[in-house]
Amino acid sequence: MFKIEILTKKGFKNSHGKHVLSDITGIGIRNVIKVEYSPLYIIDGDINFVEAKMIASELLSDKIIETYTVNNHSEHDSKSTATFNCALFVVEVWYKTGVTDTVSESVMKAVKDLGIIKEMKVKMGHKYYLYGKISQTVLNNIATKLLANTLIQEYKIK
Amino acid sequence: MKKVKTLILRTAGTNCDYETQAAFELCGAVVECVHINTLIEKKDKIFEYDILAFPGGFSYGDDIASGKILSNEVKNKLGDKFKKFALSDKPIIGICNGFQVLVKMGLLPEPKLFEQISTLSYNDSDKFECRWVYLKTEKKVKNESNCIWTKNLPDIISLSIAHGEGKFIPNNKKLLNSLNKNNQIVFRYSSKDGSKPEYPLDPNGSIEQIAGICNTKGNIFGLMPHPERYVFALQHPAKEGFDGEYGWGKIIFQNAVDFVK
Repeated sequence: MFKIEILTKKGFKNSHGKHVLSDITGIGIRNVIKVEYSPLYIIDGDINFVEAKMIASELLSDKIIETYTVNNHSEHDSKSTATFNCALFVVEVWYKTGVTDTVSESVMKAVKDLGIIKEMKVKMGHKYYLYGKISQTVLNNIATKLLANTLIQEYKIK
Repeated sequence: MKKVKTLILRTAGTNCDYETQAAFELCGAVVECVHINTLIEKKDKIFEYDILAFPGGFSYGDDIASGKILSNEVKNKLGDKFKKFALSDKPIIGICNGFQVLVKMGLLPEPKLFEQISTLSYNDSDKFECRWVYLKTEKKVKNESNCIWTKNLPDIISLSIAHGEGKFIPNNKKLLNSLNKNNQIVFRYSSKDGSKPEYPLDPNGSIEQIAGICNTKGNIFGLMPHPERYVFALQHPAKEGFDGEYGWGKIIFQNAVDFVK
């Protein structure tokens, strides 16, 4: 099983993170100072590490503005690695079991287009890095009000 | 007179194919909307056509990133055919999602290279932006555009935009300089008087307000605005246009049809 995280390269705007920060401020929470967003993918199947890296580089990331890690391993130098190392709080959001994940279905089709014809399951998730002095209660508030639709999604705070 | 055959490539999520077809037909072209699976089955079918259009829409639901899955599919299954078509100097246009496909596939800005060297990323606002904007037509070759699609346009035109990922980013300063030097920048977002715009007239924060580019030869053209939505003056909010009847978008399609004739 491979967990792929897509990161914005240094020097490029993490638009969705900024938008989420604006939404957090909008609901009256002032002590979050920065938010960064990363899409996540879990690929479970008969693929190897080289194929997982190919999927990450050729399909899931945009080589101009993004980089990636596969199982938290990055081969890029510090210049192209995003600045997420000192995040204070991390929230991951995933669909609950049984909820149709349309992006994952598209990813499986696109992996086949890459020439990797193997049985696999894909899950797509969202990772938010929140910087600031944030209590657990406020963090839960942000997660349930803004980051996750708890009817169909679950979240984990790390 | 020669019949100009245009292929409009469609797939799941394409939604501007009929409008693009209507625009080409208005200019005298014979048009077929062809599903990508048909082209994959008959790979040489593309060479039956004079013009190739990648229309707007939300191919594959914009999943992963806009245009990414279609560009991946075209490049991996039909790449050599599309490259050959592009290098034969036939006109190719990518509108909005089609522009994203051309850029991510690598047919723009340099089809010979056929590598992705620029991108169209999320708007600075992180929102879907949908409105009329002003565009400045770059005219640096004998006071005319380098692009075959954008001859005979006034200095400033307006077209409508509708996109969430339209921020054009080249991979480095060298490429940006080369796009400028080779007159490959075709449209820039502008204010009504031609000055540098602020949001919302600049809808996405593109580097140097780039809204459309072409290859060095000028036959391959990609743009975020939708010319097919302004072929009649009636489609403009103030009913502006030319000859009392047509919108500026028509000129773009007419140029390509006339070029083939």
